[in-house]
Amino acid sequence: MAAGATRFALLLLAWAAITGGDDMMLGAVTAAAAAWCSLLLSPPGPYRPRPTALALLALRFPWQALRAGVDVARVALDPRRAPNPGEVAWTPRLPPGPARDAFLAYASLLPGTLPAGEAADGAVIIHALTNHAAVAADMTAEEARFARAIGADA
Amino acid sequence: MSLLVDAFSLLAILAGLVFFAAGTAGLLRFPDASSRLHALTKADHLGLGLIVLGLLPRAEAVGGAPRLIAVWLLVLVSSAAAGPLLARLARRR
Repeated sequence: MAAGATRFALLLLAWAAITGGDDMMLGAVTAAAAAWCSLLLSPPGPYRPRPTALALLALRFPWQALRAGVDVARVALDPRRAPNPGEVAWTPRLPPGPARDAFLAYASLLPGTLPAGEAADGAVIIHALTNHAAVAADMTAEEARFARAIGADA
Repeated sequence: MSLLVDAFSLLAILAGLVFFAAGTAGLLRFPDASSRLHALTKADHLGLGLIVLGLLPRAEAVGGAPRLIAVWLLVLVSSAAAGPLLARLARRR
């Protein structure tokens, strides 16, 4: 019930942001229907997000987006730097499931890493554009931050 | 003051265009599908983010600041979902 109310409130907020506050009645009906669908498709998990850690992760994100974009742009535009793509097998701490999937989606936005499927031994393949050596340690550090934010490290 | 705001908008939007151009250069120049995904997602997110940032001071003309930020967030969420899926498919072939 609490999860449904939170999702409804967030969806209504998204409606207000996108429409600029018009037709809030229609927005409430839509948000209620969307919250109901989301509970069916993705029932609440066992984790309770920590607001402070989540806010820190969100505040850190623009900086990460800047680093990621500048990294790729330098390789793409500088004729002296050629891309050196490679794959790194990295073992996640998060158990398989929605939390790990959410982290891998988030990791695809971080500098230099793009998750590209699973290896046979349960590791995750990370595609890296440059600097392969640092990828596994970076992923583990980011995973710890992410797990703290969603409350999955208890 | 408004001159400063205009200069900020102009610089942010121009920087955004540079990153879109870099993303396109990467799409053409990078050797494999996953590398191209790096270019298309990361450089373009930053480009779009900078354009949104530059447009924020004049957000009334385009439906308000929250709408602009929502556009950026929706693009981030959709490519975070699609990027790893496409990379996995590209690897399987």
